[in-house]
Amino acid sequence: MIRLEPRLTRPKWLAFAVPIGSIIAAMILGALLIMVSGNDALATYGRIGERAFGDVVAWTDTIIAATPLLLTGLAAAAAFRMGLFNIGGEGQFVMGAVAAAWTGLALGPLGGWVAIPVMVLSGIAAGSIWAAIPGFFKTKFGTNEVITTLMFNYIAASFASFLIFGSESFVRELEGSGKVFPQGKVISDDVIWPAFGGGGFSVPLGFILGCIAAMALWLLYRQTRFGFEIGVVSDSPEAARYAGINVPRTGLAVMTISGGLAGLGGASNIGDIRHMLDPKGLNQSGYGYTGIVVAALARWNPIAVIPVSILLGGLANAGRSLQGEDFPAGLVGTLQGLLLFCAVSGEFLTRYRVRVAARRAKVEVKAA
Amino acid sequence: MNDSIVMAVLISAIFYGTPLLYAALGEVLAERSGVLNLGVEGMMLMGAVVGSVISSRLDAPGPIVLLVAFLAAMVAGALTALLHAFATITLRVNQTVSGLTLTILAGGAGLSSYLANVWQLKDPAAHQFQRLNIGGLKDLPIVGPLLFDQTLLTYLSWVAVAVCSWYLFKTRTGLNLRSVGESPSTADAMGLNVVRTRYIHTMIGGAMAGIGGICFSLSIVPTWVDGMTAGRGWIALALVIFGFWRPLWVMVGAYLFGALSSLSLILQARGFAVPPELLDSLPYIMTVVVLVVVSAGWSSKTLSAPDALGTAFEREAR
Amino acid sequence: MAVSMRGITKRFAGGVVANDGVDLDVAPGEVHALLGENGAGKSTLSNVLTGLYRQDEGTVSLFGKPVSFSSPKDAIAAGVAMVHQHFRLVTKFTVAENFLLGSGGSFDAKNAAERITALGKEYGLEVDPNANVWELSVGEQQRVEILKALDRRAKILILDEPTAVLTPQEADALFATMRRMTEDGRSVIFISHKLHEVMKVSDRVTTLRDGRTVGTVVTKDVTSADLARQMVGRSVVFNEDDIEDRPEVDPSRLVLDVLGLSAVGVRPQSSPKSVDLQVKAGEIVAICGVSGNGQRELAASIYGLLKRTSGTVKVNGVESKQKGPRESTALGLAFIPEDRLKTGLSASLPIKSNLALKGYRFAPMSSGPFLKHKVIKANAEEKVKRYGIKCPGIDTPTRVLSGGNVQKVLLAREIGANPHILIASTPTRGLDVGAIETVRSLLMEAARNGTGVLLITEDLDEAMALAHRLVVMFEGRIAGEFHRGDFNIEKIGLLMGGHSGEDGAA
Repeated sequence: MIRLEPRLTRPKWLAFAVPIGSIIAAMILGALLIMVSGNDALATYGRIGERAFGDVVAWTDTIIAATPLLLTGLAAAAAFRMGLFNIGGEGQFVMGAVAAAWTGLALGPLGGWVAIPVMVLSGIAAGSIWAAIPGFFKTKFGTNEVITTLMFNYIAASFASFLIFGSESFVRELEGSGKVFPQGKVISDDVIWPAFGGGGFSVPLGFILGCIAAMALWLLYRQTRFGFEIGVVSDSPEAARYAGINVPRTGLAVMTISGGLAGLGGASNIGDIRHMLDPKGLNQSGYGYTGIVVAALARWNPIAVIPVSILLGGLANAGRSLQGEDFPAGLVGTLQGLLLFCAVSGEFLTRYRVRVAARRAKVEVKAA
Repeated sequence: MNDSIVMAVLISAIFYGTPLLYAALGEVLAERSGVLNLGVEGMMLMGAVVGSVISSRLDAPGPIVLLVAFLAAMVAGALTALLHAFATITLRVNQTVSGLTLTILAGGAGLSSYLANVWQLKDPAAHQFQRLNIGGLKDLPIVGPLLFDQTLLTYLSWVAVAVCSWYLFKTRTGLNLRSVGESPSTADAMGLNVVRTRYIHTMIGGAMAGIGGICFSLSIVPTWVDGMTAGRGWIALALVIFGFWRPLWVMVGAYLFGALSSLSLILQARGFAVPPELLDSLPYIMTVVVLVVVSAGWSSKTLSAPDALGTAFEREAR
Repeated sequence: MAVSMRGITKRFAGGVVANDGVDLDVAPGEVHALLGENGAGKSTLSNVLTGLYRQDEGTVSLFGKPVSFSSPKDAIAAGVAMVHQHFRLVTKFTVAENFLLGSGGSFDAKNAAERITALGKEYGLEVDPNANVWELSVGEQQRVEILKALDRRAKILILDEPTAVLTPQEADALFATMRRMTEDGRSVIFISHKLHEVMKVSDRVTTLRDGRTVGTVVTKDVTSADLARQMVGRSVVFNEDDIEDRPEVDPSRLVLDVLGLSAVGVRPQSSPKSVDLQVKAGEIVAICGVSGNGQRELAASIYGLLKRTSGTVKVNGVESKQKGPRESTALGLAFIPEDRLKTGLSASLPIKSNLALKGYRFAPMSSGPFLKHKVIKANAEEKVKRYGIKCPGIDTPTRVLSGGNVQKVLLAREIGANPHILIASTPTRGLDVGAIETVRSLLMEAARNGTGVLLITEDLDEAMALAHRLVVMFEGRIAGEFHRGDFNIEKIGLLMGGHSGEDGAA
């Protein structure tokens, strides 16, 4: 009989073994899936690897693809770490994009030095508010944040759609081809966010901001009183209450931070990548959900989110550029799902030890 | 009379509400056993894609194809749910995380899309569930289109509601099921097999989500589109809460939301210029409102969630 | 004999021997009381009888035939039923539905309702079959449990502390029911710590102490005082003559002044009712009582984890404004809760963090919003050394430590803050002898330094060895007070058992 026994200590090597093991397991499962559908797994993986990390241009594209994932990954990590299931990264991202598009267009004439910081801040603010509302309902009424944040995703998507397709809003392009096809207005060139690097390799501002945010989060957890409180609340809300920590307020604050990070991702989408509000594109990309996969693989550690987001960015990059060439859409999503599945299933190995025990002999009952 | 807006809304309510109803009914059963299944969306899509491919590829008379597609969708949903059950019941993975994982895995950007591509589902489904004009009665005022001109899937869903209701409240097994969801330790003390009950009902939930899926792929939107359920699985989850875990009320909710989701199309067709996006967001806003109101304590104890919902079951030490 | 248990021994992990060679005989048609304090082994013994536990040694026989249960279902089939303190009821169901859940037969709610009404009338356990269980009073819920057992034709019925949740009138009604049940030849095993009830309703009494049988007597041949002595007895751990240097009380400084404190506990019995309590500097005051009589709630409401519905609390002369744990800590009130690893400490956090759990907000452990890790580390190292906490390192998760060392972490933190008053709730429960001695000497040392100690304990020996004053709590009220020199085990035991008065029958 197989029994699961809770572990007393968590060996350090497991912290690395589980994510790496998950990646390997997911790759094996993915390979099986590819082979079963009649393709060559090794070749497919090879092409993915090449398109993602093959040369300097590939790396640049990968980092660009990783940027939104870095931010939504941090958003998910910040929340899930505390047991708050913020599935709303998607919607918070969109609201951040809306805010950044709006401020980018409005302040464009004032030049990059003014507009860009405002875009950054407005994106963070929009995402924060979008997460704080469901966060408030959760901490005040105990409303399940999973479904509320999810619903807010769809509301945000509808709102963004409305801005472009359903109205003649400020962020919509009304001239030129905009008269025929509804589309977003492009921000002016001086408002496009800078990228850093040289020799064909460049890193967008959003990625840099994301790395800074990751380090800031890490510092928050390790070096601040607030980070200490988050640690206590995540581990034992009763102990937190005993120590006088305001548990609901801590939760709300974490949700707000989480939303702000996702919102920053949305702002980066406007400033670094898309340069206009593109609701359809945002809808298809699923950055919020992929961010959860990133965070899970990184085991909610903000620093680890950076390399994991690069890995998944590479996967997304390859998936996008390979699409159509005999490369089925949905493979990337499936691999991501497998990664997540293996990561969370493997997680139980850190909490439990598997014991195989001998069956107890059956004894008969003599009735009275 | 049968052409009025009201009728159009009612007809659409039933038509679009049917997939919601199936998924929500299945989820009611799963949650009544204590398992929260957030993978409904993914399971619907798995059912949808499997049903689609059967419809396109199986060379057989129409009714046989549809029957096989129906069963295959159930199996696909159930198998996906089995993964969730295994992860949450045996491996004690957090139910929220596991459900989410399955939706990402099987969802619109995942396995269902991958399979659709591999199987090359491009054309409209060869066999679909059409509206059945029963006894030629579809032109009767009011009841005609509502009761006699629905698809087989809708008629079956009404049977399902009746069966689920009867099962939950009028049978011993239903009572046992409810006890597992309310107080697994009591059920265990009474000799019931909590683990088995949860596995079975989670898989039934998945199977019904699968049927909800083919409501889309073989009826509402007969050509495959990635992620064609567009979040209906999530609404189904909210419907369970909205219907206070009771099949009949869930049906009302499903039709309410079905009406809301088609409202924009209907109004547009009638020439009312309401921005469709705003109407599209109505179901979701409604869901949030309902959830907040329910959790703010407006409902009474008998209307609340199964007490053990979302928790893993650990037996007392021997 | 209906029940015959011989030499029952049951051990648990960690070296705990809950039952050590226990014998129990219950005759048919008798009400047999099983008496003892918490931890005496009554629950374990009954769990063996009902099939929840397997004994490590010993035999169980029912009506002369040896039995061996591998699960509660076997016991139920053999005619043994138990009404637990925590009911096995689905609160959202009706009474009839709960009946249907347990029993076999057809799914007929009406039939179940009829059985409930019939049985209810016969045994004086009337209850409305169609009522929802959550709407019933606790006493009525208990009736449902008993009816379930009767419906299943139990021949041996075990009631575990049944009056803990009843009003005196309901308790009397229950006793009448118990007598009625034995008239049919059934045996009732009545587990209790309440002497006056045991005297009232039982035919014979078996007393357990520290996992062993003390003796079996016929109830009408003994007095409450005899039973009290048996129940409470003397266990050899701490000899009070060993204490040198008993802390001196400073009568001029009142470190804790509680007046008229009331709070709402889970049950009426565990709700403090207008409690007055004073502790002077350097004084050790012990609150004795069987667990569940409001001691925990008293501690929690003084500290600020439970809302006070009335009364005032003054710490060293300063009144607490009920702002919560942080205010209490700032006033100089330290609290060691009985739930160490879930409330007092954060189990997965490293030891150094738990030692900083209250001080992290202030200098020198933090400066502005930032933590000063060096200070936290130094604090942890100092405390580990001073209190002899055995651990692999200050970074190890706290849950890895042994029970005694976990307690030392708590003590180090709370005493180390030099509080005016320290409330320690069952600080030695579950610890081994060495750890117990350490904890006690640490408490004494704190008192020597001027800290007032409010010690909540179920161990009378401990209380009598350490305390200057001993206060007995029963059903939320202070039942009596004793000063050092006047400690009288029999009187204390009587008050603990709810028997107010001197001697003789209830």
